[in-house]
Amino acid sequence: MTPLALLTGAFMALVCGLDRIAVFQVLISRPVVAAPVTALLLGEPLIGLQIGVMVELLWLARLPVGAAVPPDDTQVAIGASVLAVVMGRHLDAMTLTMTLVCLLVAFPLGKVGQFFEHRARLYNGRLPGLVEQAIEQGKMGQAQWQHLRGMLSFALSSLLTYGAIVAGGLLAVPHIWPLVQNPVSLSAEALQLALPLIGVAMILGSINVSRAITLFCAAFGMAFLLLWLV
Amino acid sequence: MNLVLIRVDNRLIHGQVLESWVPFVQANCIVVANDAIASNPLKQLMMKASVPSRMRVEIYTVDEAVRLLQATDLDAYRVLLLFGTTADALRAYRRGLAYEQLNLGNLHADAGKARFSCTVFLDARDLDDLEMLEQAGVVITARCIPADTERPWRKLIPNVKEME
Amino acid sequence: MTIPWQTRVHIWFRLLLLQTSWSYQRLQGLGFFFALLPGLKKLYPEDQIPAISRRYTGYFNTHPYLAPMVAGAVLKLEEENARSGDSQTIDIAEFKEMVAAPYAAIGDALFWGGLRPLAAGVALFFAVKGIVWAPLIFLVFYNLVPLWFRIVFFQRGYRQGLQSVEFIQNHNLADWAIHLKEAAVVVLGGFCAFLVFTHLDPHEPPGWLGLLVLLPMILLGLGARKGLSTLLLVFLTCLTIVMVGMFWADLALVLGF
Repeated sequence: MTPLALLTGAFMALVCGLDRIAVFQVLISRPVVAAPVTALLLGEPLIGLQIGVMVELLWLARLPVGAAVPPDDTQVAIGASVLAVVMGRHLDAMTLTMTLVCLLVAFPLGKVGQFFEHRARLYNGRLPGLVEQAIEQGKMGQAQWQHLRGMLSFALSSLLTYGAIVAGGLLAVPHIWPLVQNPVSLSAEALQLALPLIGVAMILGSINVSRAITLFCAAFGMAFLLLWLV
Repeated sequence: MNLVLIRVDNRLIHGQVLESWVPFVQANCIVVANDAIASNPLKQLMMKASVPSRMRVEIYTVDEAVRLLQATDLDAYRVLLLFGTTADALRAYRRGLAYEQLNLGNLHADAGKARFSCTVFLDARDLDDLEMLEQAGVVITARCIPADTERPWRKLIPNVKEME
Repeated sequence: MTIPWQTRVHIWFRLLLLQTSWSYQRLQGLGFFFALLPGLKKLYPEDQIPAISRRYTGYFNTHPYLAPMVAGAVLKLEEENARSGDSQTIDIAEFKEMVAAPYAAIGDALFWGGLRPLAAGVALFFAVKGIVWAPLIFLVFYNLVPLWFRIVFFQRGYRQGLQSVEFIQNHNLADWAIHLKEAAVVVLGGFCAFLVFTHLDPHEPPGWLGLLVLLPMILLGLGARKGLSTLLLVFLTCLTIVMVGMFWADLALVLGF
């Protein structure tokens, strides 16, 4: 069961990872899509939805503009979903606390993804030379293939990130689970609430809308009063 | 004159500048100092179309831009100044535009340029320009977007790997 | 000579692979060459293809959703070029360079900066409710406009050639991006209120407590503006919450409530 779950996750990591830069950009790579779909394939869609909500906003403010590489929230979402389901079954704890622990272990490894993606882009630096060489020799078919070879480096970087997150989680979670289970479960709901709010705060801090905080507070206040009083 | 960021970026106005730097430094005016764009009305028009209308955009040749910044017209604005090349940055400095910090953004690969960081490719002449600016007391750092770590340009030199 | 529609469809699909060989040296340059090659092959005789191709493999970067518009216009210009023979009427490389950065800036602001948080905010309402269709809602809501840009503007670029830039000049898309971002901020405000409210509900504390959430959020937002990283803020906040939770539990034990 576990190997199958890990493979399913790897498949999602590959497909969604490629969507990030290499192909399509239809945004199946966003956590709000990737996590629920992964978890759905593993039979626990609600865990995926929870992870999607918590991860989606955290790095949404980091735009993939030009040569800037944001941290890999896609693989964090997929890796955390796989970990939460696998570890939940393994330790018999399909709870919000387990989901949170897995997510908090996976989250810093998003930075590893940033590093791998950066290496992939560097590695593609040899392709222009190869394409030009093929053109000089009049081998147009080969020139096109060299372009498509770039997909390999991005696929590899996605899978490596996913591997790092899952391996890190599989090693760390069983050990820290007895230690953190109690403290985290005491404030599990507060943590679940805090993560999306931090993400929104990050967006407010970096979006170039004048008076973003005023607009936000007004919308928040109005919606909250409506929900509370109606 | 209130210069909040001076940046060398061969792409001039693009996503990194508008989406990351403008909100970070709270700029409300962009001055582009580039001779080629200043002499081409169509390019100017395209460039201005990519900026929201609440931001002021001024596109001038390097010399004119220096004169504009030394005058009092833009005193009320927080100005983000963009150069296309290191040579332009040096020229502006020599024309009397005193600035203390210079940000290196994108300087793209070309024949004869070596890679100093992911997005900064320099040749010998660029190095000379930066050298002279540094001797004049300008602090030069490479940083693509605000979320990246700021690195002094001298630290980049051991990174030199391939020649394009 | 014109490019048949089958080839244009082929090119459109190839544009989906625009960034496959993204590198720091050329960015999307090779991808643009890869996408346009079928069109170039239709316009020029076999022996000229390598020479033409060399012009295309250089530095190029724009927003992936607006690249079809550039590609369409470039195809049109190449058609005109091929028709007029040797004398190159318009400098195509110059055209590419002229539109690339402005289109990229507009695309980044419109799609990454504006539409993406807006669509995320809308879809997250459903996700919080536990509706499994939330991902699909996000994908449909988000992709409608990009897909429209990719398809319609590829056609328009091909039809209008050089004139296709007028659309960008006349429609002030950069201001539309600001409107989208404002909408996103409002939707996210509503979403946060909804989120806080659903978390408060089962315990029935006084309702006004939820409004207090605004205070730490504003502080975090100001921290973000100062350049603090997400990782750091997440770590600090989670640690604080866990500590307070433990303290509260002990307090409850001691005071016996």
